[in-house]
Amino acid sequence: MSMPVPEDRRHVPRLRLSVLAVVAAALFAALFARLYDLQVVGSDRYQVQAEANRVRTVQIPAPRGRILDRKGAVLVDNRVAVVVAVDRSVLGDLPRRRQLEVLGRLAADLTSAGHATDAGALGERLGDDRYSRYAPVPVAADVPEDLKIYLEEHADDYPGVVVERAALRSYPHGPLAVHILGYVGKINEQELAERRREVAKPYTLNDEIGKTGVEQTFEPYLRGTPGVRRIEVDAQGDPVRVIDERPPRPGDDLVLSIDAQVQALAEQKVQQALAEARARPNRDGSRNAGTTGAAVVLDPSSGQLLALASTPSYDPELAVDGFDQAEWARLNDPANGTPLNNWAIQGQWAPGSTYKPFVGYAALMSGVMAPDTEFVDRGGYQIPGCTGAKCYRRNAGGSAYGTVTIPRALTVSSDAYFYHVGAEFWLQRDRFGGDDAMQRHLVPWGLGDRTGVALTSEATGRVPTAAWKRDYCNRVDCGDPDWRTGDNVNMAIGQGDVLVTPLQLANAYATFANGGTRYVPQVALRTQRYQSAKVTEQLAPQVAGRVPLPPNVRQPLLDGLAGVPRDGTASRAFAGFPLDRFPVAAKTGTAQVDGRSDTAVFAAFGPVTAPRYSVAVVLEESGFGGTAAAPVARALLEGLAGITPLRPVGPDGLPVGPAQPVGTTPGGGYD
Amino acid sequence: MADAWGLGRAPHRGPSVAGRGDRGRRRLEPVFRTRAPAAWKHVDLVLVLCVAAVSVLGALMVLSSTRGTNPDAYDTSFLRKQVLFIAVGVVGMVLVTLVDYRHLRDVAWVPYVVTTLLLALVVSPLGSERRGTQAWFQLGGFQLQPAELAKVSAVLAVATVLARSEVPLRARRLAVALVVLGLPVALIMLQPDLGTALVFLAIATGTLLVGGARARHLVLLTAVGVIGMVGVVNSDVLEDYQRDRLTNFLADDDADVQASAYNSDQSKAAIASGSINGKGLFEGTQTRLGFVPEQHTDFIFTAVGEELGFVGSATVLGLLALICVRTWRTAQIAGDRLGMLICIGVLSMLVFEIFQNVGMTMGIMPITGIPLPFMSYGGSSIIASWLAIGLVLNVHMRRFG
Repeated sequence: MSMPVPEDRRHVPRLRLSVLAVVAAALFAALFARLYDLQVVGSDRYQVQAEANRVRTVQIPAPRGRILDRKGAVLVDNRVAVVVAVDRSVLGDLPRRRQLEVLGRLAADLTSAGHATDAGALGERLGDDRYSRYAPVPVAADVPEDLKIYLEEHADDYPGVVVERAALRSYPHGPLAVHILGYVGKINEQELAERRREVAKPYTLNDEIGKTGVEQTFEPYLRGTPGVRRIEVDAQGDPVRVIDERPPRPGDDLVLSIDAQVQALAEQKVQQALAEARARPNRDGSRNAGTTGAAVVLDPSSGQLLALASTPSYDPELAVDGFDQAEWARLNDPANGTPLNNWAIQGQWAPGSTYKPFVGYAALMSGVMAPDTEFVDRGGYQIPGCTGAKCYRRNAGGSAYGTVTIPRALTVSSDAYFYHVGAEFWLQRDRFGGDDAMQRHLVPWGLGDRTGVALTSEATGRVPTAAWKRDYCNRVDCGDPDWRTGDNVNMAIGQGDVLVTPLQLANAYATFANGGTRYVPQVALRTQRYQSAKVTEQLAPQVAGRVPLPPNVRQPLLDGLAGVPRDGTASRAFAGFPLDRFPVAAKTGTAQVDGRSDTAVFAAFGPVTAPRYSVAVVLEESGFGGTAAAPVARALLEGLAGITPLRPVGPDGLPVGPAQPVGTTPGGGYD
Repeated sequence: MADAWGLGRAPHRGPSVAGRGDRGRRRLEPVFRTRAPAAWKHVDLVLVLCVAAVSVLGALMVLSSTRGTNPDAYDTSFLRKQVLFIAVGVVGMVLVTLVDYRHLRDVAWVPYVVTTLLLALVVSPLGSERRGTQAWFQLGGFQLQPAELAKVSAVLAVATVLARSEVPLRARRLAVALVVLGLPVALIMLQPDLGTALVFLAIATGTLLVGGARARHLVLLTAVGVIGMVGVVNSDVLEDYQRDRLTNFLADDDADVQASAYNSDQSKAAIASGSINGKGLFEGTQTRLGFVPEQHTDFIFTAVGEELGFVGSATVLGLLALICVRTWRTAQIAGDRLGMLICIGVLSMLVFEIFQNVGMTMGIMPITGIPLPFMSYGGSSIIASWLAIGLVLNVHMRRFG
């Protein structure tokens, strides 16, 4: 471009114009550089920020998986329920007075529909800023259908109040297996805090979570994957549109190892036995309280539980909308037998004579007794080197059994034999392996420790030792902190400070039955997809330990146990039972508790040749094991062996049809 | 008196162009006679096209940042007003080019006095206040911001004063120029509007530099200016929010998203998230959902950055740079000192406004409320910018006259 030059350019200060140009160019260069820096180099971080600005996510609750028994019977299902919720973005736009008025009326309606609340409580709930701003806050679950219709018809009078549907737990068989199933409830602060990092199935304040039982222990499987709705919001945080939505996916179904029919039978028989115990006076005229009881059935070849009954029981429907205070107090009251407790794993009792096979095992293994060592039972036992009234222990019931070897000692439940074993273990502890010589052979059976079953609140039981007693007496004033011969003597017949849970007992017998393999009792078999039933996780039997059980030790013990129902302490309870077709090994136990009536205990397994079932029954304050607990086990074994066909389970959780009396009898012998 | 200020009708004593000796004759002729057809052949089309392109883009961005989120009822009122402002600006620009700028020198005092009076009035109860700044008159549905127009009239006035002065400037002429610029600045600081006051400082720097101020005077003025700025920041002349913004800038910390840094943060996020190609027109989430405060006015560049990306915003910046280049070039080839100084005044104004505004949106300059020329929503700013371009075109097309 040809530039005509004016005649007179003296007025143009070239240098200063250039300075200005350079300055301007530098400023523009700075802008370009910064633009490049932001948009080309550093864009990623800001894209994340811009995305975070505009996107809010809302979780859509997913139904939990169902819980089935081993044959597919549904124990826990979902049902659709009406939930009343309040959309705060609508309510919040109203004047304060109108808000309170709406909440007041809603609270009154809910209260008259059986969901007691007031405007203040509702306001407090709505004020909780941990609830998502983009979803209505639920204020009452499971309201009656007519309230739903009323609220929908009068929607104009209830601005912001919405009626939604939600999945709630339902129990087709009522209280059946409630202690195994457990219940779900609103997640609490601590549970929420613990799960803040949960990514796949994140929790919100609205969510339910398994609180006890398999609902808790299998929570990761049962919980559905919440849906996610992504909402675009503007700078004020007001929703603009839904960006996208991932639908919720139901949780996996859980298939238990429990057989609902066996479970129902176990629950019915324990309840009946306790009722019969309460109705029947003891020989001395005292009454049994018959408060709590438990029965366990498991498969010794795998550790799978077939039944785990605990009495008293409760209706899990109570938990669906949250326990109310009175119910909660009643279910936790020891005077009612603390129905919330699962006594089969939380209850700890002295096992009485059911402990003897393990003490016998200890005696044979450490050489305190040989299988053919003869012992003369004169009806009692004088503790060597002991003087005083308590040093002579009589057999329970006072019978003298004469010369016995270990099989017979078990069959007739000779206390004197085992007193002798306990005393020898302590008095000759230098020879047999020290202070804990006996205890060392008890622990491998899983006694004194949790079995590890996938249920909540399992107790440990106790195998007392000299060290334990010293430590215990340091904490609690218990008189004599030293372990004495008498302690070993008490322990040898399952008394004193020994404690077991019914599950421990059943599992110890199962371990003996299968030849020494101790399994972790298994409560669930697998998880599977809700509709396709495609298996998502197969739960294999888990070995917890092995007990060395040489044939020359096992056989005399087995012989002794097999004699118990035939001609031993349970012969009356098993009269008429086809032992030739289904031979049963068993042991009765009657644990004496100061100031209360006896705990009836019974443990059994069968068939003896190839054990498929191991059974333990514990009835608190119910009398003798052979007369109160043994009939329960017999009824269970009859059902399991097909002698008395198992019956289907009704909606009340009990076998349909008339209930035969358990047939517990008064009298019988101490064992 | 007026003569002493170099603003009056008195015959000018300029040393250079007077040499042609046609001054007396021309003064007797009607003003519009200068609309010689020849001048139109020399119109700077590149400049006009650049300004038009930037304005159209700006209007689109105003629409994008104001239409709201309801697809059934997009708000187009801002767009329609902005188009109206641009139309008025175009008409104003054409009117300014009709009169030979050499005649404007004789009437330069008129717009200067008018805008200065308006600046005085706007801080009276007649003016309206928002966020601590009393900067405009509310006229029906429109706002008039006299400071925007005052920038252009001050450019014209100071160019007139300096064009009449001997080079190098004597201290007295320098003082006159400083008073001409200082009076509106003083009134603007009463509003207070620090940003616009700084634009005047830029105009002063450019015009005094090119207008022939002595080097030692420039150094002295710079020193006084720096000390004065420090004094202003530390005194109570500034409103708290203004000081906050300035100090926030000085202590810029990306990790610290304080409420007062929200503007800057969201602004940067908008631009940077646009990446290379942008999110597309009307697709910017920061823009669409209103995350950038004052986006359609002072932060309009963020909409460009987010929706059109580096490609688009670099283009816009390039067009703005081209406008500056053409203005500078016009100063260089202007027919006389008056023309040159008018262009330098406009150039200084534009460069500072662009750098400050765009720099602010990208976090390299403090947040002060000055609009981006041709793009930010607002009648006063749009019209003033177009008038300024009218002055430059005027000088350009009459460079041979």
